[in-house]
Amino acid sequence: MKIDSGDTAWVLASAALVMLMTPALGFFYGGLVRRKNVLSTIMHSFFILCLISVQWVLWGYSLAFGPDKFHLIGGLEWVGLNNVGFTPNPDYAPTIPHQAFMVFQMMFAVITPALISGAFAERQRFKAFVLFSLLWATFVYDPIAHWVWGAGGWLHQLGALDFAGGTVVHISSGVSALVAALVLGRRIGFGKQKAEPHDATMTVLGAALLWFGWFGFNAGSALGAGALATSAFVVTNTATAMAALTWMTVSWWHKKQPSVIGAAAGAVAGLVAITPASGFVNVMGAIVIGFGAGVVCYLAIQLRERIHVDDALDVWAVHGIGGTWGALATGLFATVAINSAAANGFFYGNPKQVLIQLVAIGAAWGWSIAGTFVILKVVNLFVPLRVHEDEEILGLDLSQHGEPAYASINAN
Amino acid sequence: MDATTVIAVICSVAVFAGWLVLPHSATTVQPVAVSEERKPVAISA
Repeated sequence: MKIDSGDTAWVLASAALVMLMTPALGFFYGGLVRRKNVLSTIMHSFFILCLISVQWVLWGYSLAFGPDKFHLIGGLEWVGLNNVGFTPNPDYAPTIPHQAFMVFQMMFAVITPALISGAFAERQRFKAFVLFSLLWATFVYDPIAHWVWGAGGWLHQLGALDFAGGTVVHISSGVSALVAALVLGRRIGFGKQKAEPHDATMTVLGAALLWFGWFGFNAGSALGAGALATSAFVVTNTATAMAALTWMTVSWWHKKQPSVIGAAAGAVAGLVAITPASGFVNVMGAIVIGFGAGVVCYLAIQLRERIHVDDALDVWAVHGIGGTWGALATGLFATVAINSAAANGFFYGNPKQVLIQLVAIGAAWGWSIAGTFVILKVVNLFVPLRVHEDEEILGLDLSQHGEPAYASINAN
Repeated sequence: MDATTVIAVICSVAVFAGWLVLPHSATTVQPVAVSEERKPVAISA
């Protein structure tokens, strides 16, 4: 197999773009929390970048993409990147070095547990977070990645379409976030005092950097520098913009003001929803997906508020519901005119694809709920999940890390 | 024009037309008074 220099350059550049998304997420989340918790929130993302980078080369990649075992998990043959060299792997990416594919996938594995951190922001003990993230990446992310993307994975064989991680990344993290929020319980004062975002500019900057990095996430998933990557790039930008416009319009109508944070959150919802579809739909499909993301994710937040669940930064509403909508919409709007190696969706004469997508959605929801619940309970046996009440009131920056984010301003 | 395009056009019109009926400006907000100047702090070790 011959290595294509253009494809390799694009995938490596995309890996770097996706890497940037995790610290960008830290800024997106960091702006949304109170001043006393910003550093700990950013630390969640930064720490996971380090943690999963090591986990992935040691065993994560092997479990997710290694030789198939029972259609459920990869084997241990590739532990420590054994047998993962520079010769292309024809099962995954025949024109780039195997390690280029591995490092690109590493960045997906990194950002996924980081997404969950928004649900338990402002109250989780850092040590519990470390243990949870490592176990979750191993027992929830790696199996689901194998089901959907691994050679021999059962959802892959079933024909489930997930171009860049709507099911693997967003449903898994968003649903797990809901479980984490329920298990940890509400923050002190939840529902009585408003936890206002301490720096909306930081959040908008984070959203913009996420948008930028997402071109690597989606267009990079073409694993080559060609027409499919171009299409993925265009539909990603289109859906994101449409979702931001829609969210802003819905919130403007509902709250009587065009929210800046709402526009940023809408953009992220659009990025999430187009992710599974980005290699399968045309630009008109992207507009519908963006519109749907702006509406359903906004409504999901209203529902979450109504049932008083303290998913602090709305990970479930944006990633869980946005990812579910995107996965379903892929089954509606996919067309082989964009990707001849895939399948048509409902609107192009293949209603069966919707059922396949529903199976994948159900499997990801089920495994994420069960896995996350068990992992949280196990971690809680060794390390309390939450900080003490006085530590929560003081703020996690000082109580967990001994460092204030802003030395000149009183923490609150 | 296929079904996807028709739905996309309807969605776009819904958003763009929606702006015509939305409030013109934000609700009146009182300016926030700054109670005191922030004091400079030493950053050096």
